[in-house]
Amino acid sequence: MLALRLARGSRPLVQLRRLLVAAASAGTGFLLLYVLAGAVARPAGSFPRLLWALVPLAATVHFAVAVARADPATRPREGLDAAGLGPVRLALAAAISTAVACALGSALALALFLHLRGDVAGLPFDGSGARLLHAEQPLPVAAALTLLALVPLTASAATVLALRPHRPLAPQTALPWGITLTACGLATEAYAGRDGGGVLAGWTLTAVGLALTGPGLAYACGSLVQAVRPGALRLLAGRSLQEQASRIGPPLGVLCSVAAGALTAFALRDRGGLHVPLGPLAWPAAALVALCAAATLLTSAVETRRSESPGRRAMLDLAAPARVLRTAAGVRAAALAAVCVPLSWGVAQLTSLALTR
Amino acid sequence: MVAPPENAPPDNDVLWARSLHHAHDGAPALVGVSLGVRQGEIVALTGPRGSGKTTLLRCLSGQLRPCEGEVWFNSVPVHTMGDLARERLRRDRFGWLGPEPQLLPELKVWENAALPLLLAGASHRSAKHAACEWLDRLDIGAFARKRPASLTRAECQRVALARALVNVPSVIYADEPTAPLHRADRALLLRTLTTAARSHEITVLLATDDEATAAAADRRLALVDGRLAVNGASPLPDTPEGQAACSLSA
Repeated sequence: MLALRLARGSRPLVQLRRLLVAAASAGTGFLLLYVLAGAVARPAGSFPRLLWALVPLAATVHFAVAVARADPATRPREGLDAAGLGPVRLALAAAISTAVACALGSALALALFLHLRGDVAGLPFDGSGARLLHAEQPLPVAAALTLLALVPLTASAATVLALRPHRPLAPQTALPWGITLTACGLATEAYAGRDGGGVLAGWTLTAVGLALTGPGLAYACGSLVQAVRPGALRLLAGRSLQEQASRIGPPLGVLCSVAAGALTAFALRDRGGLHVPLGPLAWPAAALVALCAAATLLTSAVETRRSESPGRRAMLDLAAPARVLRTAAGVRAAALAAVCVPLSWGVAQLTSLALTR
Repeated sequence: MVAPPENAPPDNDVLWARSLHHAHDGAPALVGVSLGVRQGEIVALTGPRGSGKTTLLRCLSGQLRPCEGEVWFNSVPVHTMGDLARERLRRDRFGWLGPEPQLLPELKVWENAALPLLLAGASHRSAKHAACEWLDRLDIGAFARKRPASLTRAECQRVALARALVNVPSVIYADEPTAPLHRADRALLLRTLTTAARSHEITVLLATDDEATAAAADRRLALVDGRLAVNGASPLPDTPEGQAACSLSA
């Protein structure tokens, strides 16, 4: 109940982020139900489809965790700590509110799915949804509910793991692992070719690798920005980028890998593109993944902005013009873009080379 | 206190305020405060918590615009200045030392101390030179290349003092700078502040509720409930209204 009370009292922007989590969860839930209905109608070859549907699931969970971390209600607060609500119980409260948002999305997905199949009341859109969603076969209830419970359960477990008190690692720690995994992903794609699960396995490895590389890259960006006799602007921009590297890095790496995937699909469009066995829902699924990755990065940026507010107050006490702070933020964003765009392009080039070998 | 003339402030006061009024969301914090401070003077503002010391310092340093009243610095009206001009005035002529060191954790110690110079557009080399010089004078030169996280609180507060002194301001506003420190560190910080102020003719306004700290000043002004007390006496006698307002049964 406390989680709900904390959630109810929060600001509109926070509520909007939770609604976005619910929407992403609804999209993923719908996709999972679609795969299930397809598997009931045509059991052959349904396992790769289920695996492909796990990509939007992972993006949704990543986004839900970022929203939970950026939630002001989950920050340890002195008053609540004194009342016995410390970091551990706040993590549980955050997990509950994440689960509520995701469960809301799953319920919406179920309702929409059943409505489009004509299971609830009449058939909308002249029954075109019914054919697509295999309305002629009954939906196995237990399987549907299990799949729908997947998003809330995974998201809240990941939230508890992400919010538990732990020592932060140095941003460069995972850099070698990230590069190794990215290379492994490219090798897998080259080995398996464009058919079967090779693309999925390779792309997943690349995405995880880039997510691990992200903090180190952001840190290196910060080091470059503040190198060689910096003035106030470069000093502030570079050092705060170094400080925030471990927060902003992983979503940045994920976004890079999504962009690389999109660029690869674009480069291979003449050769039939990437083969994603999700039928007519492949494009919506890709859009969901891209939106989730972008929203995760934005949410992490909001979170870092909150964490640097004491420094901002100190700067304003020093009569630093607000323009300097804004320009520093702009310099940071530009430096990150200057590294990430070529990185995505390079990974996409390597991927398309590997796939058309 | 200086008797305020009709229009222009007296020439020998570096800082001069007349009948300042300020309210936080309707709750009055300053009620008609007038004062004048001479060049190189160290003035203690005493009073309990909530008596309006911080608000007065923020009004005088141009961080807050008073609801009513005037603030003059070197015969220049601060209360009519635009935001940009006030920011420049604070950056170039004023120094601020708060109860918390407020150092930026991502910057090294010397960079924190050099920040006002860097913000004012000084070159990297000259800012570093000036900052390291002040850090040496305050006996924390050995920490110049460390991060604030590896320093003790007293050392951090001395870095904050170096940051306030680095551009050799005309006035330093010190808002309870010794509050979080132990007695030995308090005495050291206070001695450093007063020595630096006297050798560079810097005016210091020192808000404190500690008797020993206030004793280091040339003159003291007592604030009670947002009013300046005359010769240490309470500006208003305790009225029976106060008792009447307290007739709650708790």
